[in-house]
Amino acid sequence: MYLRERIQEQLKAWLEVARLDFQLALRNVLRQRRRSLFGLVSISGGVVAMLLAAGFFEWNYDAMREGMIRARIGHIQVVKPGYLEAGEADPLSYLIPETAPERELIEAFPAVEIVAPRLTFSGLVSMGESTISFLGEGVVPSAEEKLSGALRIVDGVDLSGPKADEAMLGQGLAQTLGVGVGANVILVVKTSSGGVNAKELRVVGVFGTITKAYDDYALRLPLKTAQELLRVKGVHSWLILLDATSRTDSTLARMQEKIPTNDLEFVPWHKTATADFYNKTVSLFSKQVLVVRIMIALIIVLSISNTMMTNVRERIGEIGTSMALGVTRRVVLRRLLAEGIVMGLVGGIVGAIAGIVLAHVISVIGIPMPPPPGMTSGYTAGIMVTPGIVLNALAIAVGTAFLAGLYPARKASRLNIVDALRQAR
Amino acid sequence: MPEPVVEVDHVFKEYKLGDHMVTALDDVTLTIERGVFLAIAGPSGSGKSTLLNIIGCVDTPSRGRVAIAGHDVSGKTPDQLANLRGRNIGFVFQTFNLFPVLTAAENVEYPLLQMPELDKEDRTERVSAMLDMVGLGKFAKHRPNQLSGGQRQRVAIARALVTHPEIVLADEPTANLDHKTGEGILALMREINRRSRTTFIFSTHDKKVIDAADRLVTIEDGTLRLLGIRKDGQWITTPANRKPAPAAPEI
Repeated sequence: MYLRERIQEQLKAWLEVARLDFQLALRNVLRQRRRSLFGLVSISGGVVAMLLAAGFFEWNYDAMREGMIRARIGHIQVVKPGYLEAGEADPLSYLIPETAPERELIEAFPAVEIVAPRLTFSGLVSMGESTISFLGEGVVPSAEEKLSGALRIVDGVDLSGPKADEAMLGQGLAQTLGVGVGANVILVVKTSSGGVNAKELRVVGVFGTITKAYDDYALRLPLKTAQELLRVKGVHSWLILLDATSRTDSTLARMQEKIPTNDLEFVPWHKTATADFYNKTVSLFSKQVLVVRIMIALIIVLSISNTMMTNVRERIGEIGTSMALGVTRRVVLRRLLAEGIVMGLVGGIVGAIAGIVLAHVISVIGIPMPPPPGMTSGYTAGIMVTPGIVLNALAIAVGTAFLAGLYPARKASRLNIVDALRQAR
Repeated sequence: MPEPVVEVDHVFKEYKLGDHMVTALDDVTLTIERGVFLAIAGPSGSGKSTLLNIIGCVDTPSRGRVAIAGHDVSGKTPDQLANLRGRNIGFVFQTFNLFPVLTAAENVEYPLLQMPELDKEDRTERVSAMLDMVGLGKFAKHRPNQLSGGQRQRVAIARALVTHPEIVLADEPTANLDHKTGEGILALMREINRRSRTTFIFSTHDKKVIDAADRLVTIEDGTLRLLGIRKDGQWITTPANRKPAPAAPEI
């Protein structure tokens, strides 16, 4: 009890010291309005630039991630253990049942919007004289309406039902084969027993996704049709779509806890092979954003240190007086650093508000973008300012302003009191 | 036996000015008893400010020993000296040296912020008492630029006394004030000196200010010349000859 009271008292004393330091700092910052305004504009401008740059990249990451999740891979995939590592060489050995009690448990999770089975296979597709390889996906059309929200049907319609002899072709594949909606194509695949099977399907639609490499080889057909073609009963995966991507890891952890099984493996979207391109892109561009942040931080440091230096030079007499009155070097240092922090905080908050407003305006207008590598068409980008980006920019603003104040504050704390007092006259 | 509050023992202060060494204080020995109202007089450049700075622990001697309120200051770190100043010495400056961003009350409170043992309530009580004592209770919320020169110096006196120091050092406290205001400030300092037995040491070259003191030290070219004691309105002086200052009268 005694210890708790001591800690509370100490905490109260520290808070009082911090309150006084920041009150003094704020008044000193407001004292030289024009100069402080220049410093604050530098910080705010830097924060706006950081928010817009990082927000632009974030919008692109988000569009890429959601496009990939909602067109192809879902948030969580449930597969047979080892499928992701070795399934490509022997896919038919890694089938799981289309329905199972575990699937019902998964569907009961509040964050789960839909669970869709997928059967993935490859083979040859022919049209007249042309025959090329394809990557096929057997899907349940009703489930895909939600799961494949980011898949665009560029021509024709979606698959009509689970058993229809229909196919949808990726844009590139349809172009290579020279087929359009209404044409018939023949699929040839290797069956589970090692034989070869073929089926003629009518092309009902042509689709596009954000990934050109996928569209060049992909085709989709109803799950039952695919199972008949391959002569199998199971599927390769259950794709789970959640209500928000941010809930992936927490939902995954709860699923693994509530559904203990050795027969199924739960894989989050970011650990799938398809997400590799996204992960590498984020890693690459994050480095570029980091460089932008460092450059902006340097500009803030240079402009603020000049302001802080002038402030200290003008107040040498006051600093000498405070030291004569018993203020220690450490406290002088702390109080001057508090001024840097106050400038960083005020400039950062103003910049964050301006940045958020500006990002919203730019997003409403839109940024026309050319087609990026691997994509067939351009798009209109926006700026997505997340709480993380705002906090990061604020931290950089406060941190750099603190660093900028370090040298002038240290210099002031080492002043010769007699010389400093002489300047007060 | 009167208690010494300042002991300056064979103190020298030398500094380099270009290629020359300047001796600002030359073998100064002085003992100041508690409760005196002492004027250090001398022409400009005589060394009185240097002596005041060394007594105030804002400067250190090149040689010699200084003890303030029983604390030997030699070998102390800057932070220890700051603590010694904060608790034992009050300063009144010629140019008042108030903080322009703080109100009168906050200026007076400022030295108390270095005393963690005082909470907000204690500080407010002390500040209020000090401002009332110097007659500025109604001006607590005024900033320095809203006060006259005399009022600013009164705030500075309140600030110097708020920590209940042993010594108050005042460097030409009336030099920036008109004659009448200066007299008022001296009268206030004298009254506080009599009432609280706080030792006041001030530098001046103004004869009228010297006459307000009860002890006198004159200094020329860094050397003490005369020690004086005031009796029945007259100065009785003796050559310093590096002897201790005369004992304080009973107050």
